[in-house]
Amino acid sequence: MSKILHYRSKCIGCGFCIEQQPAYWCMSKKDGKATLINSVGKNGLFILSIPVIQVQQSKNIAAACPVRIIKVQ
Amino acid sequence: MPLQLINTNVEILAPVGSYESLQAAINAGANSIYFGVEQLNMRTRSSRSFEISDIKKVVSICKVNGLKAYLTLNTVMYEHDMQLLKSILKEAKNEGIHAVIAADFSVIEYCSQLGIPLHISTQANVSNIESVKFFSRYADVVVLARELTLQQIDSISKEIKRQQIKGPAGALIKIELFVHGALCMAISGKCYLSLHTQNASANRGACVQNCRRQYIVKDIEHEQELLIDNEYIMSPKDLCTIDILDQLIASGVDVLKIEGRSKGAEYVQIVTTCYREALASIRNGTYSADKIINWKLAMSKVYNRGFWEGYFLGRRLGEWTNNSGSAALEKKVYVGKGSKYYSKIGIGEFEIESGSIKMGDMLMITGPACGMVKERMSKLRVNGIETNVAVKGDKISFPFATKVTANNKLYKIVNSNNE
Ligand code: SF4
Repeated sequence: MSKILHYRSKCIGCGFCIEQQPAYWCMSKKDGKATLINSVGKNGLFILSIPVIQVQQSKNIAAACPVRIIKVQ
Repeated sequence: MPLQLINTNVEILAPVGSYESLQAAINAGANSIYFGVEQLNMRTRSSRSFEISDIKKVVSICKVNGLKAYLTLNTVMYEHDMQLLKSILKEAKNEGIHAVIAADFSVIEYCSQLGIPLHISTQANVSNIESVKFFSRYADVVVLARELTLQQIDSISKEIKRQQIKGPAGALIKIELFVHGALCMAISGKCYLSLHTQNASANRGACVQNCRRQYIVKDIEHEQELLIDNEYIMSPKDLCTIDILDQLIASGVDVLKIEGRSKGAEYVQIVTTCYREALASIRNGTYSADKIINWKLAMSKVYNRGFWEGYFLGRRLGEWTNNSGSAALEKKVYVGKGSKYYSKIGIGEFEIESGSIKMGDMLMITGPACGMVKERMSKLRVNGIETNVAVKGDKISFPFATKVTANNKLYKIVNSNNE
């Protein structure tokens, strides 16, 4: 199983990840930052397990995040 | 300029991206500072040290030291930012912020609802008296577009007086101008280069500075490279107006704004000091070519891309830098951080983490309590014993006026061309 890692505090809320992968991401109305849906968070790092088929797209999004706070493992 | 015509209330506004820079601005005698919090300001990528919870501390430090504190909220705002925006403004209002700097109409509207004094950001590109008049319904200060000439500024400020254009506070609208620091190749910072290349919008504070790189121009059909004499074809030099400051003051400017929220405390302290001194000299009639040379020399030692007077003299585009990074004559090299402070005897202890220090070296210390302090090593004690050099792992101590903690950074100042 692969994972998406989101270092949320540095998010600038550009909305790119949400546009590209709406099933995994949504915008928090509270603080204007992206939220990784159903992820488990600790100390500002949010982690979500994803199926292999989603890895490539997630990696593309990680590479395009303007502040590089998404990682795929 | 006859002395009686000089506006003696001109304010010097310094950039603050950290508590070190805040103290540096105070040390330098700034009248006011501006800072951003969270992701809704134009330096989101390059300086992200302040959060909502810092508003209270920054404002209270400013009040204690008699400075005004302005909060920058000048990115493009989206629907999903509204809640955060409201929370920031609520906190700013509670803490008694002196003003918010904004360009987006949502911020303007909320500030006016909450009764928070407003300054119109340079992002709004105000370039004529009608725009000033429009914004005067909401704002007391307008930062004019950086691309105006002195004559245009002069005519705007004369019209403000002639037409008695006043802001919500009841006083004539004040004109603020960027007088020093980085210039953008795009008009009023509205650039999309970063978005096109790295998906990072400069209008959300995420500029990756594509314009600061070297480029080659190639004719694809003939595979021929065009000869251009400076590869930094998109990177303007830094704005520096210290040698035309008298003319700027004469054109009616009320607030002199220094760019550089992502720059170090040494930049803030030195540049602010130079402009404060220049302003004082203009006031007392001692502003001279010799002084200008010294101020320029002092400022060329901290981060810069070379200097030019921007668009104020009506010069056309083409003042491109020759440097990818800074053209500063001096460079700071990190050597270590603070470890202890013996408050009774006023001695600070620093641990060397990289490189070495020897007697006679010029040291620079930055920290939230001291801002920026430069000191020549005249007495070097390593682990309590007097010596000539200190290397990695050593603990050095010397007299220091303010408390030393792990937040204090120790640098060695070297010439840029010899490491
Ligand atoms: S792409 Fe990055 S910065 Fe943009 S909303 Fe997603 S996580 Fe935040």
